[in-house]
Amino acid sequence: MKAKVIVGAIVVVIGLVLGAMNFMESNVEYADFSVAEQSHKKVQVKGEWMKEEATNFDVQKVKFSFFMKDESNRVVKVVLDGAKPNNFELASSVVAKGKFTNGEFHASEVLTKCPSKYEGSSETVKKTL
Amino acid sequence: MELLGTIGSVIIKVAFAAALAAVFFYYRSFKGNSDRALFYARNCYHLATLSLITAASVFLYLILTHQFQFTYVWEYSSTDLSLPLLISTFYAGQEGSFTLWALYTSFIGIFLMLYTSRRDYESATMSVYSLILSFLLLMLVVKNPFTLIWDSFPADLVKTGAIPGGLQNVVILDAVKGVWAQFPSQGKGLNPLLQNYWMVIHPQILFIGFSSMAVPYTLAVAAMMKRDYHSWIRIATPWAVFGSMVLGTGIILGGYWAYETLGWGGFWGWDPVENSSLIPWLLCVASIHSALNQRKTGGFVRTNIVFSLLTFVTVLYSTFLTRSGVLGDTSVHSFVDPGMWVYWLLLGCLAVFIGIGFGLFAFRVKEMPRVPVKHSYFSREFALFLGAFTLSFVALFVAIGTSSPIITSIAKGKASAVEIAYYVHTNLPLGIVICLLSGLGQLLWWRQSNAGSFTRSLMVPVTLSLVITGIVYGVLGSEEFLILLFTFCAAFSLIANVKVGYSVFAGNPKFVGGSIAHVGIAIMCLGFVTSSRYDSKATLALERGRPTESMGYRLTYLGYKELDSERYAFNVEVHHGGVTKTVAPIMRFNSQDNSTIRHPDVINFLSRDFYVSPVTVESGGETAVSHTLVRGRPVAIGDLTVTFNEFEFTDEHRAAMAEGKEFFISADLLVQEGKSSRQLKLLMRNSAAGSDFVPATYASKDGKQYQFAMTRMMPSQEDPSQSAVAVDVTLPHDPAVHQKEDTLIIEASIKPMINLVWAGTVTLVIGFLLTILRRVDEARRQGDKIQASE
Repeated sequence: MKAKVIVGAIVVVIGLVLGAMNFMESNVEYADFSVAEQSHKKVQVKGEWMKEEATNFDVQKVKFSFFMKDESNRVVKVVLDGAKPNNFELASSVVAKGKFTNGEFHASEVLTKCPSKYEGSSETVKKTL
Repeated sequence: MELLGTIGSVIIKVAFAAALAAVFFYYRSFKGNSDRALFYARNCYHLATLSLITAASVFLYLILTHQFQFTYVWEYSSTDLSLPLLISTFYAGQEGSFTLWALYTSFIGIFLMLYTSRRDYESATMSVYSLILSFLLLMLVVKNPFTLIWDSFPADLVKTGAIPGGLQNVVILDAVKGVWAQFPSQGKGLNPLLQNYWMVIHPQILFIGFSSMAVPYTLAVAAMMKRDYHSWIRIATPWAVFGSMVLGTGIILGGYWAYETLGWGGFWGWDPVENSSLIPWLLCVASIHSALNQRKTGGFVRTNIVFSLLTFVTVLYSTFLTRSGVLGDTSVHSFVDPGMWVYWLLLGCLAVFIGIGFGLFAFRVKEMPRVPVKHSYFSREFALFLGAFTLSFVALFVAIGTSSPIITSIAKGKASAVEIAYYVHTNLPLGIVICLLSGLGQLLWWRQSNAGSFTRSLMVPVTLSLVITGIVYGVLGSEEFLILLFTFCAAFSLIANVKVGYSVFAGNPKFVGGSIAHVGIAIMCLGFVTSSRYDSKATLALERGRPTESMGYRLTYLGYKELDSERYAFNVEVHHGGVTKTVAPIMRFNSQDNSTIRHPDVINFLSRDFYVSPVTVESGGETAVSHTLVRGRPVAIGDLTVTFNEFEFTDEHRAAMAEGKEFFISADLLVQEGKSSRQLKLLMRNSAAGSDFVPATYASKDGKQYQFAMTRMMPSQEDPSQSAVAVDVTLPHDPAVHQKEDTLIIEASIKPMINLVWAGTVTLVIGFLLTILRRVDEARRQGDKIQASE
């Protein structure tokens, strides 16, 4: 009986430790471009899309690129694997997840944070009068 | 109508008070065993239910008749919705979905009352259950679904003084002081993503599931109140199975919704909202397994109580996660910040029910019977025990992953969600264990375990599963070891359960539910592997009319069809193995905010799905080219030479600006064509609503149209000669040049054997149904026994 409890406890502890390690690994840290440039790790950078700079969509490679200003005001070209994200024009800020290579930020994912259209706002209430 | 709303909110308060009174009287009846108190309690509960039904009917009436003077109706519905969708706006927002949850909870309570009254469990059970209902109703008292729109937006809608003539929808609030308000004539409408039939059915099923998850908790607390640690298990089991079946169906329907219309690419995205219904489901299923142990051995008393308590506590925790706004914007689902009240109420609700359940548990734990269980590794009981614990570990890891934004914001100060890989890595080993156990456990149960006969019974399933794994490996190609192991275990579970199920069926068909449910799970697991581990994906650019080969399919973009002013269907012909079919994924372009919503389309072959999700469409012919024109420097555009001269802001327009009226600023261009030249003014319109640029057309001598659209003004204060303007110019269409056709960009993927997932789901639900029938029958016989002995 005792032996079983000990074996069980060891299995549980190992499981928890592995789970915790996995948790740490898969939590992508926030950073700005300068930190990302040095670390070469996958990070997420929060910032805003530079609307006045050109955006480009490469039809053949299916890559969307735009310029983004991070929270320390550094502007870097972001190349996203995929098309322009949903609600990109609306976004008040964007979060790009990816790695910094060769002076560009290669993002696997770009999340857009929108001032939700489906939230009550006094502007829309006036429009529907 | 405003009166109806007032009535509605009063009735909700009545319902809340009645539910609280039911808690009080039921508790009195439990303590004093008083029939009088029981009589009051039942009536109070019925009054609460009846009031809630009335309030919900009033609410639905307001929605159906488009009463936009109510914030909720304005917020989520509009006059252009079809009737089913209009009804579904009932639960499109927080207030409404809490109403629906409370409504189903009160209905289920009626059945629970009848059911427990025959088993001498009513007073204890219903006192706890009424408390749950009270909390849900308190939520509605705080977040009133009948809030009037001018109370939500007083600054915009409430005015004082004379009412201008011709205004519609005006309500006089205070005739003496001359206060009045205007309310909208149209609602904001339902989020387009939700506008399909899934919205009509999926949330309903999910909320019935959520509501029924309260029952095992209630019965466990009642059991502790009554110090009855054994017979409650039989009473609770049918409810736990019912809850798992309904919630499980709701979860998988949500997955199908995401797959088929929302275009997430798969049926499961490990999103917080999905996870939060999965966690209670896993714990409920664990409790069903662990309960089987107690029925057999009399042991696992505390384990079962804890599992049943956790089932509902995790429902509340999930609700807190997804409704309080704590997850912020780390998820695809948008969470509206509901305000501090709701946040604290949800947290308080969680604390209260953890406190009641686990507090009582701490009081009673010492007196709970400890039945020493004879441990044998080769017993069904040991397999059930391990199975239940593995399931709860899955629940734990999913809960940790889902809570990641909270954990990281406490630990690091910045909320971040875990990657999907986290869930796959943690759950894959556990999934392997679960599949293995569900096969072994069933075999052990059937062969009353002596080592020899057990080993013999393993021969066929193991051999066949090796063959299946071999086929998967051979046909679909190599994958990592763990995936192959998972495939093997799922196949093993499938065959073992089919084998056992067949033998059970031959003995007593009523008992076959468990085997069938396991067969369903095993089929689903195989489907998970083939469809999401052996899928192939490609992003393709399809030029209209030109066939493109990919992954063995020939795809041709045929053109688009306008469905309505916003939605376009893009027809793509798919040719494969002599069969030609057409898919029509849909994109919805919202002109107001430039957003795009994409709906995929699927061709369902027996052995695989061909999944096409639209990415974007690039128009071929006329493309605008951006130019930056610096003052005084000529730029060649097409046959023209264009020079930007100056910005013009006339005194007349300055005066208009000062008065707050609409005014214009222009950029003056000189357009030269050959020897002649002409002025072109590009205007920027400014008004209270904001500013926009007015496009201009230049017609050349031979009648060609150049479209000029200013995109930005860049005046330079320090050096006016450096002022510039950004312009998009669309060149005229030239028939001589080869016109490049529209190009549709799609993401195509092949999901092998995804039908296994859906087939497994149906099998699972059938298994659950059969189990419910059996357990209800059993509980009824137990109830008869109790009544006979009285």
